[in-house]
Amino acid sequence: MITRQISISLPIFLIIYVLQEAVVNQFRLPGGGFSLLLIFTLVWAVLSSPEIAAFGGFTAGLLMDLSGSSSGPIGQWTLLMIAACYAVSYFGSGNESLYGNPLGFTVFTTSAVFFVEFAYVVTGALLGVQSGSFAQILITIFGISLWSLVATPIFLPVFSRLHALAFNTRSAI
Amino acid sequence: MRRVGEGHSRLLLIILIVTALFLITLDLRGVGVLEGARQGTQTVLSPFQKAGSVVISPIKNFFSDVTHLGRTRNQIEKLRVDNAKLRADLINRKNADAQLGQLKNILNLAGTAQYKIINARVISQGSSQSFSQTITIDAGSNAGIKKNMTVLSETGIAGVVKDVYPNTALISLATDPSFRIGIRIAGSQQIGILSGRGNRSAGLQLIDNLTDVKVGDILLSRGSVANRPFVPGVPVGYVTAVDNSAGSIAQTATVHLYTNFATLGVVAIVVGAPSTNPGDALVPAKPQPTPVPTVTIYITPSPTPTN
Repeated sequence: MITRQISISLPIFLIIYVLQEAVVNQFRLPGGGFSLLLIFTLVWAVLSSPEIAAFGGFTAGLLMDLSGSSSGPIGQWTLLMIAACYAVSYFGSGNESLYGNPLGFTVFTTSAVFFVEFAYVVTGALLGVQSGSFAQILITIFGISLWSLVATPIFLPVFSRLHALAFNTRSAI
Repeated sequence: MRRVGEGHSRLLLIILIVTALFLITLDLRGVGVLEGARQGTQTVLSPFQKAGSVVISPIKNFFSDVTHLGRTRNQIEKLRVDNAKLRADLINRKNADAQLGQLKNILNLAGTAQYKIINARVISQGSSQSFSQTITIDAGSNAGIKKNMTVLSETGIAGVVKDVYPNTALISLATDPSFRIGIRIAGSQQIGILSGRGNRSAGLQLIDNLTDVKVGDILLSRGSVANRPFVPGVPVGYVTAVDNSAGSIAQTATVHLYTNFATLGVVAIVVGAPSTNPGDALVPAKPQPTPVPTVTIYITPSPTPTN
């Protein structure tokens, strides 16, 4: 069972990653744009159990670390995404106020994006990564969060169905 | 039973976190395998990025046209009279023409300083999720590009080669927060260090606190040992504001970078620099004010009054 889930989940993560790097990054959106992989992984985490979410976070974080545009050391995104996905799943999984409530789901995911980006800046500062001026960091964090708020409801049904396909469940959204 | 499940869950979480910490430690210690993994990923991704660039180009052009609709309304009205074929040709050629214009300016810039360059097209922009400012170009080590080479745009410095892969290269833009370049002020020859700030406005710190910097001063790259990472004499930007606060250790200023990073389509990588420093030869000409035609009317009174 777990082999089947991984064999379906892994290509999905890879496809989303390639889409992010090859398509989404082509659009020079103001305020930093959005990260499709980040949104997808957080949505995936809300729909999964904490263990599965942490594993998904590990996979997505590793892919984000391998991206050429990643400024931090390999492992920084991995560590953050494991923690973020576990926390998101812990608070979100099975939460009746989120399931069947796309608006609540979107706000929850966007808040998670905001906190993940903020945590990235903080851990980056601890690891000696240059992240720019305070104003620029604020613009980027709020820009990415706003774009996530716009993008999440658009992709939410697709992501929910992909999760249902991998885990052989009914789509929650 | 539940305790066993929770125990497994915690164990998995600990294993994953320890793995991540292990990766961070290895990377900070400079283990080559991890850098190789990042390079390998970029090599695998580059064909997808090239394909994405081709596919997305018409959509980007469409959105660009929509954004500039107000400004180009008159031009659109004029184009309406053209036939359909001409309009289709124009749309297809628009991207190529813009890149050609940028390329021509780059060649002029590099030719004046006798830099040996390799031209490349921008195929992807790095994600901002990591607060870095990077682009990917469609030329790599197979074309002779190496790490730490200067990257030029049509108006001046664009960045520096951060990583090289066989067919692509990752460029760290001058706006990247980690970007640092030694500069000198054209004319006065004062030296300083320019740092990226995440946007087109960069920070300048002068080495000597007793010298003066003025608004409008033009900055050129000072050059590095063996011309890497920076060749000398490349226009960087001009001073827009000077911080004259008393008690500061070093004089600082705000600089507007010449390169428009939002429209970067073509760049040039300097693979060979001349043995002589081009000095101030690349200082961009100041914009000439357009003369307003004046009409002088001479009135000469006629000797006899007219009826």
